[in-house]
Amino acid sequence: MFLEIQEIRKSFGSGENRTEVLKGVSLAVEKGEFCVLLGPPGSGKSTLLNIIGGIDAADSGEIAIAGEHMSGMKERRLTDYRRRHLGYVFQMYNLIPNLTVQENIEVGAYLGEDPLDVDELLHTLGLYEHQKKIPGQLSGGQQQRTAIGRAVVKKPDILLCDEPTGALDYQTSREILKLIETVSRRYGSTVLMVTHNDAIQRMADRVVRLRDGQIRDNRLNERRVPAEELEW
Amino acid sequence: MVKKKNPLYRRLPRELRSELGKYLVIFLLLTGSIGFVSGFLVADGSILAAYEESFEKYNIEDGNFRLSEKMNRAQQSSIEDFGVTLYDNFYATENLTNGSRLRIFQDRSEVNRVCLMEGRLPETADEIAIDRMYADNHALSVGDTLQSESRSFTISGLVALPDYSCLFEDNGDSMFDALQFGVAVMSAEGFSTFRNAELTWSYSWKYDADIAPADEDAEQEISEELMKVMLSEVTLEAFVPRYLNQAIMFTGDDFSSDKAMMTALLYMVMAIMAFVFAITTGATIAKEANVIGVLRASGYTRGELIRHYMTMPMLVTLAGMLVGNLLGYTIFKDLCAGMYYGSYSLPTYETRWNAEAFLLTTLAPGVLMLLINFVLLRRALGLSPLKFLRRDLSRKGRSRALPLHGRIPFFTRFRLRIIFQNAGSYAILFVGVLFANLLLMFGLIFPSVLNHYQETLTDNLLCNYQYILQIPLSAMNEERKLESLLSMLLFSLDAQTENEDAEAFTAYSLVTLEDEYKSEEILLYGVAADSRYIDADFSEEQIYISQAYAEKFGTQPGDTITLKEEYEDELYEFTVSGVYPYEGALALFMEQDYLNAYFDLGNDYFSGYFSDTEITDLDEQYLSSVIDLDALTKISRQLNISMGTMMYMVDAFSVVMFLVLIYLLSKTIIEKNAQSISMTKILGYTPGEIGRLYILSTTLVVVLCLLATLPLETWIMYWLFRAVMLTSISGWIPFYMDPRIYVQMFALGIAAYALVALLELRKIRRIPMDEALKNVE
Repeated sequence: MFLEIQEIRKSFGSGENRTEVLKGVSLAVEKGEFCVLLGPPGSGKSTLLNIIGGIDAADSGEIAIAGEHMSGMKERRLTDYRRRHLGYVFQMYNLIPNLTVQENIEVGAYLGEDPLDVDELLHTLGLYEHQKKIPGQLSGGQQQRTAIGRAVVKKPDILLCDEPTGALDYQTSREILKLIETVSRRYGSTVLMVTHNDAIQRMADRVVRLRDGQIRDNRLNERRVPAEELEW
Repeated sequence: MVKKKNPLYRRLPRELRSELGKYLVIFLLLTGSIGFVSGFLVADGSILAAYEESFEKYNIEDGNFRLSEKMNRAQQSSIEDFGVTLYDNFYATENLTNGSRLRIFQDRSEVNRVCLMEGRLPETADEIAIDRMYADNHALSVGDTLQSESRSFTISGLVALPDYSCLFEDNGDSMFDALQFGVAVMSAEGFSTFRNAELTWSYSWKYDADIAPADEDAEQEISEELMKVMLSEVTLEAFVPRYLNQAIMFTGDDFSSDKAMMTALLYMVMAIMAFVFAITTGATIAKEANVIGVLRASGYTRGELIRHYMTMPMLVTLAGMLVGNLLGYTIFKDLCAGMYYGSYSLPTYETRWNAEAFLLTTLAPGVLMLLINFVLLRRALGLSPLKFLRRDLSRKGRSRALPLHGRIPFFTRFRLRIIFQNAGSYAILFVGVLFANLLLMFGLIFPSVLNHYQETLTDNLLCNYQYILQIPLSAMNEERKLESLLSMLLFSLDAQTENEDAEAFTAYSLVTLEDEYKSEEILLYGVAADSRYIDADFSEEQIYISQAYAEKFGTQPGDTITLKEEYEDELYEFTVSGVYPYEGALALFMEQDYLNAYFDLGNDYFSGYFSDTEITDLDEQYLSSVIDLDALTKISRQLNISMGTMMYMVDAFSVVMFLVLIYLLSKTIIEKNAQSISMTKILGYTPGEIGRLYILSTTLVVVLCLLATLPLETWIMYWLFRAVMLTSISGWIPFYMDPRIYVQMFALGIAAYALVALLELRKIRRIPMDEALKNVE
């Protein structure tokens, strides 16, 4: 397996206020797979994504990408791990406000050893004519496209998406999902997408349901549909 | 209806805790500046009051004059008929083994009464009470012994003589010299051991109450009248009315110019700090835009929010003012008083509550801080609630990206964007660096200018010794022509020397007209046509001005200058033929015959000698002064003593100011970009790379500021220096910019910045990655 997650536990607070958010989550994802993590708010899906992304640490358990284990990694190695393996897309686009679209994508390109051609990617993202604009001049959808561009430009092994359509309208959400689908297929990225939108599971290779910090369902989707056919 | 307390104020303690570093450095800087200036003004005010009261308390003379011999009763009574009372103020001069000269008076009981600072007044014949500052400069204390060639004195006390608050040995000196010259008093018994030949016949006068002049103009008028009366009775060697007596008046003049400078300094610091506050608060507003939007949408008024965001800066300012004033009245007051006592022989003083100091250091800067913050906050919070909710804080619609060519390397473009984003902060940084570095330059340039002056003087001395002869005033009395002619003849015969290096010259003294600047004494040298010492072509009545003259008054060849006799109205015009390379005095050089004829002094008249070797066969009574390197560098030596410590303090203050400013502004820049920094961390950028993006931008700006402000600072310093030299100091010290100062300033700036950069790098490391996960977009 490309991504292996074993017995991840995570809790917040201490004493009586201690809340266990992840209660021994195990999961395996194949390379190039499109995996959707579904669950209601508070189910622990974003925490799991952050732990996989190396921006939060598990209390116990093990994560390995292509055989490289994360546990015990110090800050410097974790940074390197994120740099080599991961691309991140958030609900809130987190673009650098004083850089243009093109420059925001270059922020990602700088980290890759063999990044994609930024101009070509701008075309793919439909942002070519907006490349000189700063985030403040863009719509929400355009900002999220830029964020996706920044994430995929370095050709990450895994693209982590945390509610990427959470702040977008229906039509824009479908466009964004289609874009994620396209770029992941084109560039062979494994995608882990956290969402509470049930409809999105239809475009996934694998659907994982979390509730109360535990995986309740983990199945392969036999009848995948393209993103543009999704409706909700 | 009971007015509810604004719940937002509950945030203030938390805000203080979370921003402790920022508020602490601002508080310390404000406290330090306010404390120092308040201490300075309190010391200045208290000492000035003591100084002004000393005129009455110690019954300071209205003037003094010197005679070649003791006055007889008839002469005294004739002069006193004018409406003055005369007092003996004889003194003896002892050359001490420590290389200095001590002017010893008998303890005074009527005029110029002595202020005892430490120990007791002399009682026995070998006891002496010496000037307190002279004692400080020579590390002397009560009980020590002073030695001259023939006498030994035991110090019984330290005193201040009110007629020597500033130790000018000669009123014509351009600067006092508290190192090589001191004053002292002895008991009547002790003083009587001096033989008449050892005494200088100096007298003080006080006007009778009915003719006492009300102001300086009246003083000038009445003193001129008095001089005429004296000239008809006695042969005057010197005549110094009080308003012209530098030993008495210089101190008071110096106090007022210092006060203006210190107050201006404080306002600059306060204004810069107010802008720093405004910028940091502006960053907070940007960070809290959504919250502000919600609050405004819910009905909070703009005024309530302005008050809220102004509270912390004003509280910190208030705390700075309170503690600053407290320190001002205690520690800093003593420190500043110490500086004055290091330069002047002042009587004791009592600390006085100084309402003006409170107004200048507390109320005025407080209002300045309030106004700047209010205006900037009012502007920042003037946007609609919707704009805040959308985090669109620009005024001119949506801001656009400045086009940058794609060929510019990515990191460079990134840094340029950061620089554009923080242009406001960097503009304040520029002003702050300019100000801090101007102070630093002032602190560094001062000793360097003085050293350079000494070196220049050594290199272009006219000769090793200039002997200025004392022409008896009787030889100059136009009302008694015959007597004066005889007197002159006698003098010419007596004042001859065998020294082969000696070359006679005529010295004549005029003064500049009092217009923009105070009147200055100009020495006119009448030089032998084939002079060995002055290398200039004097044919066709050519007149040269000294380099010092040319620099001080901006005079050039071809210009016409107008001078006048000190106490007369007659004007003299000279056309300048050239500039003679001499920095030692404000002087004119012309051929001796021409000068003698011009002032009708007679063909053979001379009044001094140039010589490269010491002349030992001159009659002491005809010797007025010897100008050698030691005498010429008196001004720079004394300035070094008076200002040296102060310069170190200025240096330290400017570096602290620079540090605080850079720290606060770069901190703001990092905080403003915390989310982006967090995101770059998530993406996999290392702290080093993030530092190269966010810190290097500030580094570039700091380096640019440091370099770009240098010419501006040099220019400002040149004009400031000129203004100070023109208004406060007699004579001239040329401005000199040692290139090493630029290097020192740049190195200090970079070293200070490096310290801040390390702190900021640590701050970047501490920005958590979940910062980017906060829903603040």
